[in-house]
Amino acid sequence: MSDEARETIMLVDDEQMVVRSLEGFLALETSYRVISFCSPVEALAAAEAEVSLRVVVADFMMPEMDGVSFLKRVREVQPEATRVLLTGYADKENAIRAINEAGLYHYLEKPWDNEHFKLIVRNGVERSSLFNELASRVSALEEAHSELSGFREKLVKAFL
Amino acid sequence: MSQAAEPDVVGLSARLAEATAEVQALRSELDALRKRELDARAELVRSAQLATLGNLVKGVAHEINTPLGALASNHDTTSRALAKLQQILDDEVVTPDELVEVRRIVQAVSAVEETNVMAVDRMKHVVSSLRTFGRPDRSEIDQVDLPQAIRGTLDLARHEIGPSIEVRTDFGETSAIVCYAQQVNQVVMNLVMNASHAMVKGGTLTVRTRSVEQGVEIEVEDTGSGIAPEVLDRLFEPGFTTKGGRVGMGLGLAICREIVDRHGGDISVNSEVGVGTTFTVRLPLRIPEGMEGGESAGETAE
Repeated sequence: MSDEARETIMLVDDEQMVVRSLEGFLALETSYRVISFCSPVEALAAAEAEVSLRVVVADFMMPEMDGVSFLKRVREVQPEATRVLLTGYADKENAIRAINEAGLYHYLEKPWDNEHFKLIVRNGVERSSLFNELASRVSALEEAHSELSGFREKLVKAFL
Repeated sequence: MSQAAEPDVVGLSARLAEATAEVQALRSELDALRKRELDARAELVRSAQLATLGNLVKGVAHEINTPLGALASNHDTTSRALAKLQQILDDEVVTPDELVEVRRIVQAVSAVEETNVMAVDRMKHVVSSLRTFGRPDRSEIDQVDLPQAIRGTLDLARHEIGPSIEVRTDFGETSAIVCYAQQVNQVVMNLVMNASHAMVKGGTLTVRTRSVEQGVEIEVEDTGSGIAPEVLDRLFEPGFTTKGGRVGMGLGLAICREIVDRHGGDISVNSEVGVGTTFTVRLPLRIPEGMEGGESAGETAE
């Protein structure tokens, strides 16, 4: 549980009732740190300021910026965050098209099932942590590789 | 002369009889055409009503979906919370650690409980918007507070209008009018839909109402693409459409004029390409004598 508290989840929906319901559910069932916004513009500013976001859940139909554009912008500032789109019943077709174009991880249809939501968030956190880990392994490997190249050069020079 | 005239009289009366028969034939043909026109108009009204009903259903489904989602989720959260509390209470002892947990659970439940109130209010609002819209399957003459009715219609159309369009209202002093409430709302819904279809890239939709001499005026203004002058005149013709032949779409404005005529009012349009379009509907305070009870839009549906 204490591990979960270090992971941050961002919720964005212009409908306060949706954000607060999801927030209440996560508060009961998990220990994640949850930050939530009713404005995608404010959420974007917060995403830039956050050190690391694990999962970002955003509504599709929002007045300032639609959810897909928002999540595209999130990817630029939080490349390792798992992005999830919340969609209403009537927006499904548009949303699915947008999801494929934007390469999103998942979509959640309203009315949503809490258990399903929890699963998506948990998997999203895990996926994001793995990405993070992968990224740090890759950079460690690159470092090792350049170190090795350095050695090789030295060796070659020593023998010539 | 008279001798010469006789066969002429026979010939003339024969031609007269012929002409009379022809006139009668034409008259009955005209009657048949008139009846067909009336049937066609009634059909037009029915199609438009179905289109309006479709928009209403979509609007209601969307407006209810969000609060429904919140309520369903909150119900689940509350059940889970109760189960957790039950588990803590089962052994009859509450440890300090469990007390912390109880506080956490109560806090989560209070948060979702607040949103229950919001969700229920929203659903009540949707139902009351539907009430002011009037029953699409029935045509009743009613006293209508236009600003209130238009607000309801805009709420139901909100999803169709889309998030990129800003909706403004300017309701001046507006007298209540006696009209077929559902039909007048249908006109407003139609004009609002057209306006939003004219603003695919976003814009501002403004709906105004005000009292004018012996009646009221409703204005629906968009900041969309505008309508070319040569098209403007044909706009109210049945079947005329600028929307690429989508079934039913061409009925909108013809039906609006039909309904407005029926109320003894008039509808006009002003448009500038690249700037936008304004439709103006003028309605009298009540339907003039002799016009009410005439072939009403809903009768056939009963």
